[in-house]
Amino acid sequence: MYQYSQEDHQLLQERVSQFRDQVARRLKGDLSEDEFKQQRLRNGLYLQLHAYMLRVAVPYGLLSSEQMRTLAHIARTYDRGYGHFSTRQNIQYNWPKLEDVPKILDDLAAVEMHAIQTSGNCIRNTTSDPLAGVARDEIADPRPYCELIRQWSTFHPEFNFLPRKFKIAVSGATHDRAAVAVHDIGLRLVKNDADELGMEVYVGGGLGRTPMIGKLIREFLPPHDMLTYLEAILRVYNKLGRRDNLYKARIKILVHETGEEKFRELVEEEWQQVKTSSLRLRDEDIKNIEAHFKDPEYEKLSDFDVDYDKELISDPMFANWADKNIELHKKDGYRVVYLSLKSRNQPTGDVTADQMDAIADLADKYSLGAIRSTHRQNLVLSDVKLSDLHSLWQELTALDLATPNYNHLTDIISCPGMDYCALATARSIPIAQALTERFDAYDFINDLGDISLNISGCINACGHHHVANIGILGVNKKGVEVYQLTLGGSAREDASIGKIIGPAFTADEIVDAVSDVLDVYLTNREDPEETFLTAYRRLGQGPFKEKLYG
Amino acid sequence: MAFQVYTASLLKEGLVAYLCIDTDGAFWSTELNKAVTTETQKVDTLKALAEQAEKDNIVIAAYAIDVEATSNGISPLENRERIRANGPTVLLPQSTDLNAANIRAA
Ligand code: SF4
Repeated sequence: MYQYSQEDHQLLQERVSQFRDQVARRLKGDLSEDEFKQQRLRNGLYLQLHAYMLRVAVPYGLLSSEQMRTLAHIARTYDRGYGHFSTRQNIQYNWPKLEDVPKILDDLAAVEMHAIQTSGNCIRNTTSDPLAGVARDEIADPRPYCELIRQWSTFHPEFNFLPRKFKIAVSGATHDRAAVAVHDIGLRLVKNDADELGMEVYVGGGLGRTPMIGKLIREFLPPHDMLTYLEAILRVYNKLGRRDNLYKARIKILVHETGEEKFRELVEEEWQQVKTSSLRLRDEDIKNIEAHFKDPEYEKLSDFDVDYDKELISDPMFANWADKNIELHKKDGYRVVYLSLKSRNQPTGDVTADQMDAIADLADKYSLGAIRSTHRQNLVLSDVKLSDLHSLWQELTALDLATPNYNHLTDIISCPGMDYCALATARSIPIAQALTERFDAYDFINDLGDISLNISGCINACGHHHVANIGILGVNKKGVEVYQLTLGGSAREDASIGKIIGPAFTADEIVDAVSDVLDVYLTNREDPEETFLTAYRRLGQGPFKEKLYG
Repeated sequence: MAFQVYTASLLKEGLVAYLCIDTDGAFWSTELNKAVTTETQKVDTLKALAEQAEKDNIVIAAYAIDVEATSNGISPLENRERIRANGPTVLLPQSTDLNAANIRAA
């Protein structure tokens, strides 16, 4: 993991003491709410439906066990005993008091964490593949590039007041687990025919009111040029992005209105100004950062373990979990483990302070002290030995973190919706819970196979419903919560925006509607290997419409 | 008959609060049932009190909401405001030390 330099620490401390002073002045009445609002938002502090909400950055989803313990401490000491992992790999606290926030920021700073740039019209936390550095399909580790972007974008004076918020995602593997196509900028590490490392640069992806898939504006950008090229894109956006209309202010609208070709030209033109500037990365710049992400001392192990095989046979529950929530690791004898934050008993993405502490302990015991958060609102222990899997599973089961559903129907993404969010038009958590209640049968979700179901409580689409195979959007229709169904979205390398299937359903109808959609799939799939998305793309909307409205 | 109450968030705690009036004057409570209700056309008096409370840095983001009288007391007409008044409609995650956390948050 990246370790802060002396300057990083100092910068953070200065920022905390600055905010402490601003909070004190606000509480004394020396600052009006209008004056203070911009300051609190710059420190990740929102005013939500019931209380303040503090969003803490988890840089590209990486957490140490020590950091996780601090998050638990904050939940317990200053909040109501839990936190919520979001689709941007961050954690949110729903009940902090204003006067406590500087203390929370102090505690965070002590473990190299903060809430800076987690809101406001600036470059937000860079997100990435939760399997970075351990994935078998990895072309190159994206974390050093994420860290370089973090350093470049933090307090970047020119990009502190962009037309709108700006999100960057970086992926380094064949499979896209970071949803790069639906970010303002998505970078995908690739190799060319000469086996050199480069980046595909996608611009103008995003969800919300106008969902769009990012456009590939450069097929092969040498890594050394990453920051200069990002600088050029941001300059073009900062100059030409619309500030007159909130709904048209994201870069996706600029790219769309300017046209892909013209936008590319504008970036290239701007790039010529900065291409050879001091922002250009030298070999040693990259190497220095890469040194922070060196492989740990893995043991030399066999990829077969007799005891593990026996446990799989003798313990069907363990086998179910292992089948769903474990992925191969680049090193033999190790596995990546998904901790499901999608049980029947807790809202999606929520983790109690007790669970956080226990997860930190498990990370120390089984996974070299590291934890990752995923954009699907789960957690990952990335370096677990094959021989430890059964014990880990037992401990996770006791913590209600072992629901065997990763990438399956009940692995539902859900934003907080109207139970917490001031912008919501409908609730999303109760719908997620009703769906989980209805479909939480292992054999059924196993049979359905790989499928994604995401729910958002308003058109801002924090629940990524547009890019789910089955997406649900809660809207308010004359004072009643109703739910629109979209089908056929994908957030992966074959990214696509789902299409609304027809008129919305009431809260009482939506679970049956999803059940109907699943029925159509199960009846019409060519064989069990054909996923929901493939079948939908083959069948089109017709049979689904027929069943839902026919 | 439509009634209105004034709601806002407490500056210090961020919690939802309602404008109340007793013999000592105006104050803010997190309990909707204590709120002062008014007929829609007379809401301007409450508005002035709410704006004063904003100036006095007691509350932020004040606005009026429609409510009705029910057998259980005052209830907002809009779903959003019912959720604001009663808290999340889902079971909150429970840490074993939740009691301590609740006492602190109260
Ligand atoms: S999608 Fe809407 S309701 Fe859900 S968290 Fe985002 S802004 Fe709030």
